[in-house]
Amino acid sequence: MIKYIITILVATGIAGCGLNNSKAELKKDESCCKKDSFQVQASKEKMREKSIFQLTDSFQTQDGNNFNLALLNGKPTVIAMIFTHCTYACPRITADVKNIEDSLKAAAQKVNFVLISFDTKRDTPARLKAFANEMNLNKDWVLLHGNDEAVRTLSVLLNVQYEKDSDGNFSHSNLVSVLDKFGVLQFQKEGLGEDHVETVKTIKKLIE
Amino acid sequence: MSFAQRNAVIVAKKMHHIPMGYYKPFFVTKNNKPLKVTAFKMDEFAVTNVEFLEFVIANPAWRKTKVNKLFADTNYLRYWEHDIVIGKKNKNIYNSPVVDVSWFAAQAYCKWKNKRLPTVAEWELAGNAKPKNIKINSLTEYILGWYKKPNLFVLPNVKTTYQNEFGLYDMHGLIWEWTFNFNSFISNGDSRGNTQDEQKAFCAAGSINVADRTDYAGFLRFSYRGSLKGNYCIANLGFRCAK
Repeated sequence: MIKYIITILVATGIAGCGLNNSKAELKKDESCCKKDSFQVQASKEKMREKSIFQLTDSFQTQDGNNFNLALLNGKPTVIAMIFTHCTYACPRITADVKNIEDSLKAAAQKVNFVLISFDTKRDTPARLKAFANEMNLNKDWVLLHGNDEAVRTLSVLLNVQYEKDSDGNFSHSNLVSVLDKFGVLQFQKEGLGEDHVETVKTIKKLIE
Repeated sequence: MSFAQRNAVIVAKKMHHIPMGYYKPFFVTKNNKPLKVTAFKMDEFAVTNVEFLEFVIANPAWRKTKVNKLFADTNYLRYWEHDIVIGKKNKNIYNSPVVDVSWFAAQAYCKWKNKRLPTVAEWELAGNAKPKNIKINSLTEYILGWYKKPNLFVLPNVKTTYQNEFGLYDMHGLIWEWTFNFNSFISNGDSRGNTQDEQKAFCAAGSINVADRTDYAGFLRFSYRGSLKGNYCIANLGFRCAK
């Protein structure tokens, strides 16, 4: 019941204008993109304006190197947020991303795979490295540690909700996101163990 | 900046000390015990239009014709006349809360002031304090009374509702306010997700419950936050900073 009430509230009143606006924007973006090359160029500029790579915060990789998102530029990116002490959802979401990698076969080399941890305290680069080994992740996956502000900002950009519980673990949404070569969010799939056919299809299109 | 605008600038902004306290999360899971909130400081009132004007003058990237659409939707500062002009028609709201600002803009403003946005826990703890200059039956009743009123055509100035026991003005009754972690997990509240199984969409979603079922005002606040995205700019949503 509570859920329905929220749904109605949100759909009808409180944030209605914001939602409508963002929908209107989306439509604008879609309708602009074919025909002559000038328009294509213009639309590409507009798309890059929405690049998540504009986030300048510095992260650290599982090898302890400094990293910012612009380094992902040039390849489509599959990205998910996790924490390694998670017993239920996170290994599964990681497995989902691995499945996507497997489905891409050789084309996987043309794609970035990135996991970012909510757990700014416990998920040190060393801990992320251990997790990567445990999960048998390919060497070129990037696992990122960042400060509270950087991770929160990224979660806002990726529409991932999360909250730290009093026991140190996290409640969070399970979302696999796909960015294009320029860092613009192009596709998201929510849930665990979902069918990722469409995700893979989208990635293949973005590689071309 | 016109003389009138300059004249309206508030020179020093007071912050009030909020002592250490415990915040009971609105949505409770079995792992979610009352959260200890360490002492902090909070702006006495919401950031006003003239205060925000100072910021966009000093930071051209945050002017409305320049702002990046990733960080603010097309409603950003839509009622301002131009980039660094609030406008004569708006002279009654120079000292009203700035609204139609995104989370990213609010973050950037607070950072520029060497402050930060308050967390949900901090904001709720600060906002729960009783009014000290008006008589009310309960805060919930007061807030619901505000929700019932249609939005006023002209947003009143800051410090026009009530001051609470911490010294903070307008924590309820004027605008909604951004918080640092507004995108905290709140169950699949707005049904934007398309999975039917909540357990799949959200880690730890199975045993969710509400702390106080009579706190309908709190419920609305949490639903509202859950429906936002970081680039949304909304006519009744502003912010204040913490430290």
